[in-house]
Amino acid sequence: MRPGEGERPGIALCAVLPLLPLLLLAAGGASGGAERRQQQQRHEELATEKEAEESHRQDSVSLLTFILLLTLTILTIWLFKHRRVRFLHETGLAMIYGLIVGVILRYGTPSTSGHDKPFSCSQEDRPFTTLLVNVSGKFFEYTLKGEISPGKIHNVEQNDMLRKVRLHHFSFFFNILLPPIIFHAGYSLKKRHFFRNLGSILAYAFLGTAVSCFIIGNLMYGVVKLMKLVGQLSDKFYYTDCLLFGAIISATDPVTVLAIFNELHADVDLYALLFGESVLNDAVAIVLSSSIVAYQPTGENTHAFDAAAFFKSVGVFLGIFSGSFMMGAVTGVVTFTKLHCFPLLETALFFLMSWSTFLLAEACGFTGVVAVLFCGITQAHYTYNNLSVESRSRTKQLFEVLHFLAENFIFSYMGLALFTFQKHIFSPVFIIGAFVAIFLGRAAHIYPLSFLLNLGRRHKISWSFQHMMMFSGLRGAMAFALAIRDTATYSHQMMFSTTLLIVFFTVWIVGGGTTPMLSWLNIRVGDRVPSVEEMSESHWLYFRVGVDPDQDPPPTNDSFQVLQGDGQDSARRNKTKQESAWLFRLWYSFDHNYLKPILTHSGPPLTTTLPSWCGLIARCLTSPQVYDNQEQLREEDSDFILNDGDLTVTYGDTTITANGSSGPHTATTNLDSRRTKSSSEEALERDLGAADHEVASRGTRLVFPLEYNA
Amino acid sequence: MEKLKKYISVKDEDHFYHQGAVELLIFNFLLILTILTIWLFKNHRFRFLHETGGAMLYGLVMGLVIRYVTKSSDVESGIVYECEKLKSGPSTLLINVTNHVYEYQYKREISHHNVHGHQGNAMLQKMTFDPSIFFNILLPPIIFHAGYSLKKRHFFRNLGSILTYAFLGTAISCIVIGVIMYGFVKAMEHIGQLKQWEFHFTDCLFFGSLMSATDPVTVLAIFHELNVDTDLYTLLFGESVLNDAVAIVLTHSISIYSPKVNPNAFDAAAFFQSVGNFLGIFAGSFAMGSSYGVITHLTKFTKLCEFPMLETGLFFLLSWSAFLSAEAAGLTGIVAVLFCGVTQAHYTYNNLSPDSRMRTKQLFEFMNFLAENVIFCYMGLALFTFQNHIFNPLFIFGAFVAVFIARACNIYPLSFLLNLGRKQKIPRNFQHMMMFSGLRGAIAFALAIRDTDSQPKQMMFTTALLIVFFTVWVFGGGTTPMLTWLQIRVGVDPDEDLKTKAASQTASNLDKNTTKAESAWLFRIWYGFDHKYLKPLLTHAGPPLTSTLPEWCSPVARLLTSPSAYGDQLKDGDTDYIINNDELTENYESSAHIPVPAQDRIGSIQATGKEDIQEGDLGLGGYKLQLQHTAGQPQNNSLA
Repeated sequence: MRPGEGERPGIALCAVLPLLPLLLLAAGGASGGAERRQQQQRHEELATEKEAEESHRQDSVSLLTFILLLTLTILTIWLFKHRRVRFLHETGLAMIYGLIVGVILRYGTPSTSGHDKPFSCSQEDRPFTTLLVNVSGKFFEYTLKGEISPGKIHNVEQNDMLRKVRLHHFSFFFNILLPPIIFHAGYSLKKRHFFRNLGSILAYAFLGTAVSCFIIGNLMYGVVKLMKLVGQLSDKFYYTDCLLFGAIISATDPVTVLAIFNELHADVDLYALLFGESVLNDAVAIVLSSSIVAYQPTGENTHAFDAAAFFKSVGVFLGIFSGSFMMGAVTGVVTFTKLHCFPLLETALFFLMSWSTFLLAEACGFTGVVAVLFCGITQAHYTYNNLSVESRSRTKQLFEVLHFLAENFIFSYMGLALFTFQKHIFSPVFIIGAFVAIFLGRAAHIYPLSFLLNLGRRHKISWSFQHMMMFSGLRGAMAFALAIRDTATYSHQMMFSTTLLIVFFTVWIVGGGTTPMLSWLNIRVGDRVPSVEEMSESHWLYFRVGVDPDQDPPPTNDSFQVLQGDGQDSARRNKTKQESAWLFRLWYSFDHNYLKPILTHSGPPLTTTLPSWCGLIARCLTSPQVYDNQEQLREEDSDFILNDGDLTVTYGDTTITANGSSGPHTATTNLDSRRTKSSSEEALERDLGAADHEVASRGTRLVFPLEYNA
Repeated sequence: MEKLKKYISVKDEDHFYHQGAVELLIFNFLLILTILTIWLFKNHRFRFLHETGGAMLYGLVMGLVIRYVTKSSDVESGIVYECEKLKSGPSTLLINVTNHVYEYQYKREISHHNVHGHQGNAMLQKMTFDPSIFFNILLPPIIFHAGYSLKKRHFFRNLGSILTYAFLGTAISCIVIGVIMYGFVKAMEHIGQLKQWEFHFTDCLFFGSLMSATDPVTVLAIFHELNVDTDLYTLLFGESVLNDAVAIVLTHSISIYSPKVNPNAFDAAAFFQSVGNFLGIFAGSFAMGSSYGVITHLTKFTKLCEFPMLETGLFFLLSWSAFLSAEAAGLTGIVAVLFCGVTQAHYTYNNLSPDSRMRTKQLFEFMNFLAENVIFCYMGLALFTFQNHIFNPLFIFGAFVAVFIARACNIYPLSFLLNLGRKQKIPRNFQHMMMFSGLRGAIAFALAIRDTDSQPKQMMFTTALLIVFFTVWVFGGGTTPMLTWLQIRVGVDPDEDLKTKAASQTASNLDKNTTKAESAWLFRIWYGFDHKYLKPLLTHAGPPLTSTLPEWCSPVARLLTSPSAYGDQLKDGDTDYIINNDELTENYESSAHIPVPAQDRIGSIQATGKEDIQEGDLGLGGYKLQLQHTAGQPQNNSLA
């Protein structure tokens, strides 16, 4: 056979296709005496191949289902936006479509394969992830798929389709889908309003979530006890489970409400409060739930209260939270690129760094979501300034698209899960109890905290705002993702089903009722008067954290001109604000003088801000561009409005109060010290200083658009 | 007690989950490193190592570290269990372990010497991810991007040659590789190296088909950077793109080929079934892709432009579903998504708002970049983390020889044949360059890893991996020296190419174009149809349908033409559509030079006033361009 082989390429060259049969024939003749065993084996091979093919096809079908769902959702959203229908948000829609497809899959597809008997051929005492089996001289590798409860052996997977659609991998949710959503939230936090309400937001997020977690946990424990009395509970349900449920369900996610607010231009402070709360809330709820899981009493009685374990849990909570925070902030800061010439590389690096933050935190045992949130915030603050103009819009658009797709995917998956998840346990008492508990929890969270905060705040949170916040306690992606994380036990399955129902209810009913509620509560919407000044104001408002670079940022001058109002009482009003913001002021000046110059190309050069004895280091650390930037005065500065502008206003606010009453010297010394800078820099600074004074004398109208209402 | 157990299970899951994070983190880390290195290289203009090569290198290092640093966590799982009851390997296995029943899924058959290696190392296990990820997630963006960015003008000019290289060439190379490999396998059997299993001729053909998917990313990137002759670029790029499609379909139909009686004898029915499969799958995928492209066009009737984000999302999802629905229907998704990309670049792109155009382009560019580098990183990793490698020196050597011979058999004879028909010859140095740039890349790897069930397949996988390494590093690195050695023009501005040096050879243009007209007649007809009917129907560009359709169907025409088509008739509107109109017009015009299509134009003169002006303009431009753009070509010839 071999001598002929040399000619074949030559033949093949001249006329390929016609000769193919001949070639095959010759080849066939070569090993003519094929045995039956061979043939049989061949058939087996083909059978497995076919099976793999089939499975691949089903994979495709299940993915296709999701993609078609998303496509449908997008088209419908467009229709709704076009007609300005507001009672149903895109996420609600995605859920409805998911639900419909779930019903079809559940009842429309035939069940497929049955199963063989279990083998019990080896005597190992625990399962391995990989199993090697020697079958008549051949080695086969098997991987562990999961445990099957003995009762179900004969109907393990009646429906292959359902199984495909039901992505068991909660890690998929956590590693792939959640990071873009959370990162986008952090990246687009409206910094100005966010920092103005920082105290309240933190109070709501930390204290509020803890309060709501405990209240819901206790109420649910009562419900569970009741169920036990009635005899409806068929398995164990511990107090820690109740607390876990409380933690899971405390993660609010008012996307629907926020989208409507955004569209109607509802009050910015309310928006900032809700948005900030929901973002931080998620972080707190995640850490809380993982520390509750980690809570494990040591003694004999595993469900009694154990102080040591409790404090350990608290320690875990604090450790995880601060660790994640640090990690996020550090990575955000480290993302210090100089790849200006290659926007594609820059974007890719930015994306990968942000995602690695998440993964790194997860790998270290911290909470990735928290890390990625703070990474987003830091990156919006520092890294964004280092990016080239093209990369800025690229990153922004990229994260927007990712966020949009991931969010809608999660919501349509929720719809699907109601029917395709096969271990639902619906217990009416528990569900009713949960509904009551979350409303009570929300109420106990909002009203007392608002009352306390109002004691400290000059600029009160009005009753209508409180009602609105109470009302917008929607549950969404985060609660679902937390609940689906562990559905191994009875109690967790029940919690999962209940969470799903709560999400449905709140997104549809509460989300749909936002617009009526807003008008019923008399909350100002569309606060825009079509005057030139107001136009620039709104323009500026929309230019948030650089999440909206479509509109060009107006030069800082304009924004300051907007800050005109009548003087005296606004200054007095700011007294409390100044108190809550002193920490922030300190941080801001530190940030502006030291961090910004080190990390970005903006800000004053380090050589001017550091004392003279460390001039050498300063020169090393300052990028040469900073000096250039300093030369190009105003024009250049408008580029940095993103943070400079945002923060300058806050800074301006505090200076107002400084001039107004309490500590004039700090502000003036600040200004004085700044006067001693290089000439170009000085000009710029003086401008800022002048603006500050102007602001101080005239007060702020932009900053308090809601005082009419308050 | 139960609580404790539950706790452990939660902890196990957490552990598992963290490991998922670690594995992704490793990839992220590798990619970040790669990006930084690329940046460094680009800054210093190193060209000997492309980003994909760098990614592979880093992957290799990381794989080495993982392999020899991490310990097997589950020591005992390397033990082989004997099971007399089992006669063959069923797809799922239920095993009873102390009253708990566990379900195991069949993964693959492994060879003897791999049994005690690193089996059971959880880290290695995690690092080898499911091959379906390649096919469902990573390949579509790469292929779509290729289709979306086909340089249309030059592509259509060389359409004939590209198709020849892609279809005939791939078939030739597949068969040549298959035959040579079969010879080597026979030789190995003779020597006695190949006892344990059977290696059929179809397996060899399978190997041939997967090895004929060329992927010269490295070379193309360098060409792009150096502005190498556009014709050469187009030939290579077009060949590699279509080549992938052909190779995938070919692989698929070979793996389906199942003779009834004797696996080694030739079975005509099965063979023709395979050929039929090939044609059916290819045509089906083509139709599927194009129809998805067309569905996306219907967006012209929606006013989605107001929401660029939704538009981008829709575009992305529809393109992906083209892929998935082809896969679900049993066709080849890659081919579908390729043609979907081509159609969408042609039609849908015009319907998008300017914002979305940028967004989609950037999005796909970004995804292409990431996916490509992930695949190459993974290749590097796979050399060490994949646990079932079978290195067979003779087979590998044979494969190297076969790949080179096959490439030569593909390029030289076909170029010779093509040069008989082409007026603008493919010079020898171009042929050498094409021969040289037969790199293997992502597609070959993905095809090989798709199926590693049996031992022949594992051996093929190992060999394919090594060939990819070798070609990417050695050939990719050698591109720049090769270019200078072959004296191929670099630094050609594709637009200048057409504009400059118009003056001299007007006479030779005429007969030069006759051949072009011949090769392009099909294209010309199609272009006329496209310009008059499809464009107005599917986009806002082109003349309104009311003017191109006969009068009796005017009500339909009015219904289907979008209102803005009337508005855009003016010149200013037309500049927006530069991407395809410009590129195609040139083609159209070059053919318009020949007297025949004059009738064509007469037909269109009956259009509305505005349209008339435009057409007239184009006609004039045609003559002018005609004179210009072939002028640069004789130079090529003289160079050769």
